[in-house]
Amino acid sequence: MSSATLYSVSYDLSHTLLFALGGLIGGPLGRLLENGDLVTGIGVLVFAALLLAASMLNTIVLIWYERKLLGRFMDRRGAMHVGYAGLLQNFADGLKLFRKHTTRPREADEVGFYFGPTAYLVTSLMIFGILPISTGWNSGPMPLSLLLALVIFSFAPLFIFVSAWSSNNKYSLMGGLRSAAQMIAYEVPLLLAVVAVVVVAGSFSLTTIVYEQQNYWFWGPLIVALIVFVAAMLAEMERIPFDLPEAEAELVEGWNTEYGGMLFAFFMLADYLRALVGSILIVLLFLGGWTLPTWLPGSLTAWPLAGIFWFMVKTYLVFGLFVWIRASLPRVRTDQLLRVGWNRMIPLALLSVFLAAALVTVRCVPVFGCVPSPGA
Amino acid sequence: MSEMWINMGPQHPMTHGLWNLRVRIEGELIRDVDPEMGYLHRGIEKISEDRHYNEVITLMDRCCYVAGLAWEHLYIRAAEQALHVDPPERAEYLRVLCDEFQRLGSHLMWYAAFVQDLGLMSPFLYGMRDRDLVLDLFQSYTGARMTYEYMRVGGVRNDLPPGFTASARKVLDWLSDRFREYDQLCLGSTIFRKRCDGLGVLKGPDAVHHGVTGPMLRSAGVKRDLRKDRPYAVYGQLDFDVAFADGADVTARYLVRMEEMRQSVRLLRQVLDWLDRHPGPVIAEHLPRWLGAPYAPIGLEGYLLKRNYPKGVGFSAVEEPHGEALAYVVNEGGEHPYRVKFRSPVFANLSAARTYLVGYHVADIPPIMGSVDVCVGEVDR
Repeated sequence: MSSATLYSVSYDLSHTLLFALGGLIGGPLGRLLENGDLVTGIGVLVFAALLLAASMLNTIVLIWYERKLLGRFMDRRGAMHVGYAGLLQNFADGLKLFRKHTTRPREADEVGFYFGPTAYLVTSLMIFGILPISTGWNSGPMPLSLLLALVIFSFAPLFIFVSAWSSNNKYSLMGGLRSAAQMIAYEVPLLLAVVAVVVVAGSFSLTTIVYEQQNYWFWGPLIVALIVFVAAMLAEMERIPFDLPEAEAELVEGWNTEYGGMLFAFFMLADYLRALVGSILIVLLFLGGWTLPTWLPGSLTAWPLAGIFWFMVKTYLVFGLFVWIRASLPRVRTDQLLRVGWNRMIPLALLSVFLAAALVTVRCVPVFGCVPSPGA
Repeated sequence: MSEMWINMGPQHPMTHGLWNLRVRIEGELIRDVDPEMGYLHRGIEKISEDRHYNEVITLMDRCCYVAGLAWEHLYIRAAEQALHVDPPERAEYLRVLCDEFQRLGSHLMWYAAFVQDLGLMSPFLYGMRDRDLVLDLFQSYTGARMTYEYMRVGGVRNDLPPGFTASARKVLDWLSDRFREYDQLCLGSTIFRKRCDGLGVLKGPDAVHHGVTGPMLRSAGVKRDLRKDRPYAVYGQLDFDVAFADGADVTARYLVRMEEMRQSVRLLRQVLDWLDRHPGPVIAEHLPRWLGAPYAPIGLEGYLLKRNYPKGVGFSAVEEPHGEALAYVVNEGGEHPYRVKFRSPVFANLSAARTYLVGYHVADIPPIMGSVDVCVGEVDR
């Protein structure tokens, strides 16, 4: 397992910086800087800044990855011209959006129009402070980190609806309504699928859930929950079979029709941040997080950043699955989507909870081996 | 949510052109629709009155930008009848070649746009990719990919380049393999069937009543195809079946267009075989002297010309990729047509929108209108 984590690196950075500065100034003021609490505080800030940069960078790479992958599925090559294999294309696109003038329709509500996208982006970024990417990632143990992550994740429909309504556009309003209906309908099966994981792992802490998967990953015994979770996650991310809120064929761009420039970039970034969070949650809950199966040689995880590396590999593979789905499926209709959500997904999710409870009681499943006692 | 009118268009991803569909919705349900056309009106019929017979061909390419050659063929047939000119047989075969390749190109474009409306992203690009092969063929013998200006009164501009039939056969082989793939991607998908089955129903009697023609009519179980019912050019000598279905819904229209593409491939193979075996002239030898001239003879010469050339009226009906297009050309003597009038099939198909849209969901508008295959260029002319 890795010894140097992002948090320890930022703590060390803050420690070195403050002590060097304190030594330089000297005297009582310098000694004031060499304070443990201050080092921790600055360390957290550095951690947050690094995390922000890392998640933003990852999002942009994720967009590039999707474009290239989609290109291959469609018998073309995707972005090719800016940077090596088009790696810098998204930076160029972002720069273009950044330079554009932000326009607001005269009749739009000023507060809601600007507040919506900003809050959407900020809440999407907040989740990254909670998700553990490898061992010792976070500054301290968080017993309810999974719950917190899902709570922040479910803020989105509110902000989408605020920005849609305040745009004062019929397409935006319809998109916003669809979005709210869809996210609320799929929030329930999503949480029920998570309950199945929590029942087996015996904890709401993401770190503990990953440790519970040391011997076997949850995707096998909890396959029903995984299916429900992936489908509900697709609906939450508003990606192609379920992208009706921004169904461009009938609703132009749905709830973000009136947005352009940087505000549009906020939506775009937040969408991909949420896609990244979704993939990360699937890896954490079902695919063993940063661990590898025990039958693989230990040398694969015996180097400093192995945890993060394997985690990212899994995350990108999961996201690749979403891209594959996007490349091959048409969009469903709102009523069909809601009917599937309430009539199929929720019973299936309840079944997965029941199966998880049965698994915990029986302990041993023929193919997948035995479950350790919860919380052990 | 109370009822409201929304404008889908003139700039809207669903329209595939420049027209406006006004929709009265209640929640997600369509209560009423009102198609508004006319945003792309360029006065092609009026401009034609001021042009030489051969110069009108340029306008025909702009009339329908995905089926330019079919419209050229339509106009040329009427103009030849009005001018009493007979094209050589090889030219007729070449025109059928153009027509059927154009049908393939147009239907592939329709396929791409239609699946894109449903959110299917990859088949959209597959359709465009395969249409490009057809456009490459057009480029190799007309020199253009979209505005061909290939047909002439009395024949066609030029013969095929050497090696054309071989490369055309290769394209046909490739395409007939792809049709299976298209079907797997669409009909094999449960979501696709759920989105399309029983949608946008336009029954046979309603379709006839509204003057709906083409694949939309044939999908309603009415077996009418001008190529069979009123054979023009050399269609009477070729062997093919009329594609039709009974569903009268979006899926039926999909099936009809797919079958039409297969039949086009079948027709094209026969045409290519004939062209290989029968070389010959591609334009009539005895044409009115002024037909090819860049400027009309003026003065006494022009007067005599106008007085002496026989007058006539030409009418033609062509099964264009979108439906039955009719043309009427009046020759009152002289170098310009006196009057040109076209009947656009898509205009009639669009006008019936209230019949096949009301009662469905807002999300159903793109697949239904996609299955109509709108080409606004010919609607507004």
